[in-house]
Amino acid sequence: MKKIFKTIFGISTLFFSLSFFSMANALDIVFAEDRPDLRTLDPRITQSRHEEMLIVNIFDQLIAADSEGNHYPGLAKSWEVSGDGLEYTFNLRNDVTFHDGTKFNAAAVKATFDSIVDPETGSQGAVDILGPYKETVVVDDYTAKVVFERRYGSALTAFTETELSIVSPTALSELGNEGFGMAPVGTGPFMFKNWEANKKVELVRNPDYNWAPEYMDGSGPSQVANLTYRLIKDTSTRVAALEAGEIDIAELVPPLDMNRFDGSGELSTIAGTVSGLPYAAFLNTTVGVFQDINVRKAFFHSLDRVKMTSDLFFGYADAAFGPISSSTPSYWKGNEDYYGYNPDGAVALLEEAGWKMGSDGVREKNGEKLTVFFPCLLEPDTCVAIQGYANKVGFDVNVEVVMKARQDELIFANGYDMLVIRWVSLDPGVLIIPFHSRNIPQPGKFKFNWARYANPELDQLLEDAESAETQETKDDLYMQIQKHIMDQAIFLAIHDQVQTVAYNPELEGVRFANGNWQLRMYDVRKK
Amino acid sequence: MNFFLKKLLIVVPTLYIAWTVVFVTLNIIPGDPVNLMLGGRPASDEVRENVRKNLGLDKPVIERYGSFLINATKGDLGKSYLTRQPVTKMIKENMWPTIELSIGGLIFGVFFGVLFGVFAGTKPNSIRDTISMIIALCGISLPSFWIGMMLIYIFGTTLGWVPIVGDGFVSLILPSISVGLFFAGGMARLTRSSLVDVLNQDYIRTARSKGISKYNIILKHSLRNAMIPPVTLLGIQFGLLITGAVITEEVFARPGLGQLLLQAILAKDIPLVQALVVYMTAVYIFLNLIVDFTYGIIDPRIRLERKNQ
Repeated sequence: MKKIFKTIFGISTLFFSLSFFSMANALDIVFAEDRPDLRTLDPRITQSRHEEMLIVNIFDQLIAADSEGNHYPGLAKSWEVSGDGLEYTFNLRNDVTFHDGTKFNAAAVKATFDSIVDPETGSQGAVDILGPYKETVVVDDYTAKVVFERRYGSALTAFTETELSIVSPTALSELGNEGFGMAPVGTGPFMFKNWEANKKVELVRNPDYNWAPEYMDGSGPSQVANLTYRLIKDTSTRVAALEAGEIDIAELVPPLDMNRFDGSGELSTIAGTVSGLPYAAFLNTTVGVFQDINVRKAFFHSLDRVKMTSDLFFGYADAAFGPISSSTPSYWKGNEDYYGYNPDGAVALLEEAGWKMGSDGVREKNGEKLTVFFPCLLEPDTCVAIQGYANKVGFDVNVEVVMKARQDELIFANGYDMLVIRWVSLDPGVLIIPFHSRNIPQPGKFKFNWARYANPELDQLLEDAESAETQETKDDLYMQIQKHIMDQAIFLAIHDQVQTVAYNPELEGVRFANGNWQLRMYDVRKK
Repeated sequence: MNFFLKKLLIVVPTLYIAWTVVFVTLNIIPGDPVNLMLGGRPASDEVRENVRKNLGLDKPVIERYGSFLINATKGDLGKSYLTRQPVTKMIKENMWPTIELSIGGLIFGVFFGVLFGVFAGTKPNSIRDTISMIIALCGISLPSFWIGMMLIYIFGTTLGWVPIVGDGFVSLILPSISVGLFFAGGMARLTRSSLVDVLNQDYIRTARSKGISKYNIILKHSLRNAMIPPVTLLGIQFGLLITGAVITEEVFARPGLGQLLLQAILAKDIPLVQALVVYMTAVYIFLNLIVDFTYGIIDPRIRLERKNQ
């Protein structure tokens, strides 16, 4: 018996010291990812920012971009745009190989983009980002020319998007679309190793990586040898595992815990303002009380967005004012001069519109109550805060917390007064989807113009902005678009979307990817 | 043998009804699977139509129902809308963690359930009976997410004895306790009441008067007779566990069938929900068979009755 114990003790000591030894020589990082139900790691197919959390570390793009959205040479050393804005010629690096040993070249670029527009691929994001793509011409081994059908103002930003990452054509033909999504092969700093469904995805460092964009601190292979994405949906478990030291970096940490970590210094934190549409509500212009623009304006004025946001986010998110968040290119500062907190102004507008205060604290007009039906899919606590503020000036806001299926049903039936939304996007071009009149939902046809606002002038502005020739025209057109949306009071921005990250204070080099949602792990190292 | 044949014959209509109910329900409830799949992201009409076609949703409902039944009898339960992987593969991947957790919970539950049950049942209405039953009541009624969070807080964060989301055998301890407590509570209460009944029977009094030791009476004469109701409960509760413990899986960030089903339902992933229902009905039927079979082992009289029929 004693002998057995001795042997077991000996073996376990040996294992312990071995694991300790290997730890000292290589940095292993465990990241807590919020979503367990990852479906694909194929950048061409995905539409999920959670899947892109991993994809961004496995793949590279033609043009690299830092968290501010500045462009740097990526897989392309340089690029030229033709005078008519239809042709983008990329001068590619000749020293890059995919994780499977395939050489990166112009043919790989062509294979990637051609497969994105192939309906068989079933692309859910990339095909829209690639815009009016016509073809890719292989000029020579390391020169690729991408041709568009018409001028595409957002093209350069598009080439920095994770969705347009270049994939290994060899792996693609060997694994097929479905297989590739479960075992992706790119050129990035980390290589796919293993995926345990609903539990974790393991990546290992790419030992040949020598093409980090210049905005990174490091060069050569990453100092992180093993990068594990542990999928932990429950927020309190994520934070507990982080505090217990089982994981090193966690995303979507509740603001209350961020506040606590900042106070104690127990963990380091970073927060990023996500570009795209802020957390905001569409007001339905076709039914109910919001058909009257003065009622919409009164509703805007009734909310103290700055206080509401600081109460809910402890300073980690800012109040938002415009149709796109302040970190999105072409953001117009003028948005912030609209609809400040002014309950007296709200009351005056409602009185003018004929809504008189009833005995129950809800305003009335011709026997009709000032009632707002507000199905709430995202952030119920924010919805309730909105309800509380609007009630003070005489609105009766009826909040129903809904699931996506119920929201779909209400959208098809035009059965709501307001709906909330938020999107991650790198380009203001996204505005055409929720504000062009062709995108008003119909029964059975899901679309995103939930304000159901139709205006030919705005449609024209959105179309012109999409094919703007210069940055100045583009900025000017998006300024006019934002102004139009604000003047009409159809989109009530509440707060910026924020990604809150806490991590082991012994680490440094944790940085956001463009868009401020995903994290690039390449530069992570011990202090 | 006749008995088991009869049982097996019921399986076919049961499965057919379960499949049809789940197919009809999933096609009635509101929500467009295409939109749910796209996660509410802005996507062009072109993308939406491509996705619809890829999923085969452009075909009429009747045609989809027909091909579902035909394929299912062939053992092909289709591909998931979400991952486009065969659903049987997805179930297999999530089955092992669920089996692990179920067995862990079962061991914990049976051990402490029977222990507390016997402890309480052998001296009814005493202080130890009251205390044991209060503990059992807590096990049944405390919500598992709360138990899970407390276990994490005490043993994971504060004491640091066991990993919270780690790998291997040790990471199974807290989740097993979390699901096992509910199990143990029910077992303890049922074992106790059943034991109290048996201990009042005449043959126990006879055994006592013959001078058989207390432990022999409890272990050999009473417990075996008292085990029929707890074994029935065991079958039902194990069935619950093996089809997935959603909340415990979520709190401990474990994969498993519960999580898989939840994700499938929320995303309206019809093929995956159908396959999981097929699996779950099969498991219940199988467990019921085992329980029936166990009765015969515990109590030979039941075996005899069946033979005489």
